[in-house]
Parts: sequence; C-alpha cells; structure tokens
Amino acid sequence: MAGLEFKALHKTYGSVPVIKGVDLSVDHGEFVVFVGPSGCGKSTLLRMIAGLEDITSGELWIGDKLCNDVEPRDRGIAMVFQSYALYPHMTVYDNVGFGLKLARTDKAERDRKIRDAARILQMEALLDRKPSQLSGGQRQRVAIGRAIVRQPEVFLFDEPLSNLDAALRVDMRMELAKLHQDLGATMIYVTHDQVEAMTLADKIVVLNGGVVQQVGAPIDLYQRPANLFVAGFIGSPKMNFAEVTVQSIDGTMATVTSKDISSVSVAADTSRMSVGDTLTLGVRPHHLTLDASGTLVGGVSLVERLGNETNVSLKLPSGATWLVVLDGDHNLRGSQALQLAVDSSTVVLFDKTGQSLLAPR
Amino acid sequence: MKRRASIIGGVAAIAGSFVVFVIPFIFIILMAFKDKPQSALRDFSWPQGFHLWDNLVQVVTTRNWMMITAFINSALITVISVTLLVVLAAMVGFVLARRKTRMNGLIEFLILAGLMIPPAVVPTIWLMQGLKLFGTLHGMILIEVAYNLPFSIILYRAFVATIPRDLDEAAIIDGARPLDVFFRIILPMLWPVTVTNIVVQSVGIFNDFTNPLYYLPGNQNATVQLTLYNFQSQYNTSYNLLFTNILLITVPPLIVFLFFNRQIVAGMTAGAVKG
Repeated sequence: MAGLEFKALHKTYGSVPVIKGVDLSVDHGEFVVFVGPSGCGKSTLLRMIAGLEDITSGELWIGDKLCNDVEPRDRGIAMVFQSYALYPHMTVYDNVGFGLKLARTDKAERDRKIRDAARILQMEALLDRKPSQLSGGQRQRVAIGRAIVRQPEVFLFDEPLSNLDAALRVDMRMELAKLHQDLGATMIYVTHDQVEAMTLADKIVVLNGGVVQQVGAPIDLYQRPANLFVAGFIGSPKMNFAEVTVQSIDGTMATVTSKDISSVSVAADTSRMSVGDTLTLGVRPHHLTLDASGTLVGGVSLVERLGNETNVSLKLPSGATWLVVLDGDHNLRGSQALQLAVDSSTVVLFDKTGQSLLAPR
Repeated sequence: MKRRASIIGGVAAIAGSFVVFVIPFIFIILMAFKDKPQSALRDFSWPQGFHLWDNLVQVVTTRNWMMITAFINSALITVISVTLLVVLAAMVGFVLARRKTRMNGLIEFLILAGLMIPPAVVPTIWLMQGLKLFGTLHGMILIEVAYNLPFSIILYRAFVATIPRDLDEAAIIDGARPLDVFFRIILPMLWPVTVTNIVVQSVGIFNDFTNPLYYLPGNQNATVQLTLYNFQSQYNTSYNLLFTNILLITVPPLIVFLFFNRQIVAGMTAGAVKG
C-alpha cells in the first residue's frame, strides 16, 4: 500500500529553477495525471519520483518512506518510457525478466511471473521475439509488462502513448484504464494529451513553469478552473477570453459588458470585485449557440465542417478572434454575420491577476 | 558511353590494386618456394624445384625454435591487449558520452593528443625500467594498450552516443547497478564496434614491429615480426627464408581480415550515421 507525498519539492539545474515548490499528496490506488505545456516540469517531476533526477530540496515520501536519497531500485516503482526503452539485444522474455534476474529471483519463480505478466497483457505469443520484430503497440505492451512483473507500488508513465498512431492510442488508453482497475496500484501518468488526461485520471495535476496550477478531478478542472492558465489549458478547443467591465453587482450576480458582448449576468464571487473593475471573461467554444436575440455578434472568417459539429472562427467587432463549436452541420459562408447567445451559467470571470472569481459552491 | 567509361574505370582500378597488392604477395610466395642461390637473384622468376617445405622447417627450427616462442608471445600480447582495449575503451567511451562534466573538454583533448603526438621512446624505456616492466610481456601489453587506447575510445564514444539514454534509465529502474548497466546493456549493444576494434587492433598489434623492437629485447621475448631479423644481416641475407618467414606470419592476420571484412566496415560506419 503506497501513496505519495510531496513536500515543497524543488529542483534546479545549475541556477535555473525547474520545479518551484510542489506540494501534493496522492492516495494509494489513485490514477494521477500530470499535464502541462512542454517544459513545464511534468517529466522532471516524474523523474524525481523515479529517482532519475536528484531532488534539490523538499521531501518525497513513497508510502511511509522518505525517498529523497533512496536508489531507484529500492523505491518500489516501475516506469514506462515514451520510447519504450526495450533492450534491443534481448528477447521479449528476457526484457520482461531483466529486473527479476537482477534481483536474483529464482528461475521457476521468474518464469511464472514473466508468463503471468504476458498473460495479463495478451502477449504470450511474442515472448521469443526481439523488440525489432514487434510493432509499436506490441513494444508498448512489452514495456508495460516489464513494469508489471516487478509488482511495484507505484507505476510511472512518461507519455507512453505519444508514439502510437491515433487508433492504437485509443485502444491502449482503454487497456491502461483496465489495467489500473485490475492491479489497483497507484499510477502517475505524464501527458500533454487532453483526452488521455480527462479520461484516465482520478486526479489531474496541471503544471506550468514548475508550479502546480490546480489539482482536482477532471470535470472540476473543466468546469471550475482556478485561473486563466488552467482555463485555457484544459478543454479543446481552447476557451475564449475577452476583457470586460463590471457594470453592476446584484447579490451573487455580476453584470459585465464589453465592446463585443452587450451584457451578460454571471454568477460570481462578487465580494472580490466592484463596479467599474476590468475583468477577463472566459467562455468555452461549446457554450455559444446560434440565437437571433443573442448578445454576441461577429463575422465568420473560417469554417471547419466535421459533420457532427462545425468549428467556426469568428471575427468580433473589437478585432478579437473567437472560436465557436456549433452542434450539427452548418453550411456557413465566409464573412457571414452570426448572432450568438452566451450560456451565462458556464461563463467564468477572472480578476486582473488571472485568478478565477467563481461563486463558492 | 557512360557505361563504357565506368567499365574502363573499374578495370583500371582492379588492375591498379592488382599491381599494388597482389603482385608483391605473389612475389613473396614465389620467393618462399626457391632455394638460397636462386632467391639471392631477387627476380620475378619461376622457382627451380620445390623448396617450400625445407624452407618452412628451417624457418621454424632456427635459433632453437624461436618461431614457436614468437608465436606464443605474439598471441599472448595480442589477445590480452585487445581484451583490455575493448573493455577499457568501451568503459571510457560510455562514461565520456554519458556524463557531461567540465573535464570533458580536457579529456577529449588528451585523447586526441594521444592519437596525434608520437610516443617518445627513450623516456618510456626509462619509465618502464623504473617500474621494472622493461623487457617483460606484461610491460609490452601495457604499452600496446596505452598506444592504441585513444583510437578505440573515439570509435566507442561515437557509438555510445547513438544509444538512447532511456535504455540506461530503464535498466537503473529495473534495479541495475552501474556495472550491470555497462556489462548487460551497453556492452552487448556495442558489438558492431567491438568487432571492428578487435579486428583492427589485433591486426595492428600482431603486426607491430617497432614497439617490440624497442621495449621487448631478448631472445625469449621475440615476437613474430622480430623473427624477420633472423635471416637478415649486413653481409648475408637468406632471402628464401626471409620470405618464407613473411609468408608464415602474414597468414593469421589475413585470415582475420577475410572472415570479418564485412563486420569491420559495418562497425566503422556504425557510429557515423544514426540508425
């Protein structure tokens, strides 16, 4: 049984800080996904857990053991790499059994464990092959097998699916979810793929610039982003933003207006704003609907027809470009004027520092 | 037209290399068949009579079977030095390619210097005498290792750089200690370069004439190349025996090259292109 606990973790390369104080706790059996843009430190954080990077300061607890200076092999972890990192000169059987061999597990026991792992991953037929004779998906399976066979407390995945083609990625994603269910181990997963994060995670950790932006359940992050960065990062296509001015405050409702939107009433934490403040309003592209009496007017500049939905790039009077996702197929022409309604219950306001002003639940 | 030109070019190249490489070898073989008076003429003539067996017996038995001692010495020096070279150079290449420190520039400069600056013989002998290594086989082995290490390191380092670091890290997480990573993961993957190293270095060391001449005096210490001196003196040279001797000591390296030719080329270019 092993959860993880990070206490003020720091990492610097020379004088460049990469991880700037991460506090996080992960319960046993949780599936945690680290997301963030390139260079945000998510892989570095994972490698610190693995023991491949030194910890500059702070504490890393795996289970109830302080692991700052513990060798990777003694941490009870296993890692799956983006490049799979299979040993090319060994057969699949030897690849999977390498860790056990190093641990001097006895031969019969080793054989049993290797065959168990192969059975779980349905790759018994591949055991005698070399990695070069395998397809991408098969290699990934072997890499996961190599992790399973060590029966670790914590699985670490470093963008494991990003080298696979789109269809295979969907399959492997489901298999990973199933594997998590079956094994019940703690899994930490690094990705920059939104869908992987949203579908796999019990808990998403959004990182930017070496700082945790928000931690929470996927749907919470989508509906109640803590700040502008999370709002922009989670959800695809990206959330639309506009600068607005507070017109009036009435209880928990704030009415805001801008050049492009005549007026919208939004439920918000009104105690942190006053009339006349300049705020940022965020609307997801899916929450805009065609409506002849709508408050938003703009000209179509680009249309992508996907059949089940239509992505429209909208040029607003202020010059800003918003993205709108309309349900169903719409045959729109360029420069056509659209009138749209904003679903005010899903709108989020942000203050000047980028913190969201969501009404407390 | 183009095709004819390429045929002419090919024929010219083959003829050229025939003159340079094959004719001298044929000359050696012919000389080994001759008796002493005919060989003294040193011409390109057909041997009168078959004297190869007599020549061979005489070459091998000369100076109390020195040839046999020489082959044993050469084999020992070659096998042990090449083994040491492979293990040491691969280790240095691995560390140099993997660990970036401030010392790397200096180390690389020293390796290059070792490749370019000719060794100073007299100070080396003085040092070897001080260490009581002068005139011993193990001293000679150390000399060969030291002289050939830079070349091997450069070959290995280029190749290690093409092995993804993820493999090291995967092994570390699997529980490998540094020596496990090297011997179980890296060294097996270096096989193409290792073959190149073994062939190039063993031929070089086996054929080395000058270094044993300087550092390994004494009849008991003779290496095969030094046996050539047995039949050559200021006033009297037995050319038939000299060339038989040459034939005898050319054969082992030739066999190595014939068998490993393809792998040598593969290893030479392996580090050059990332594949």
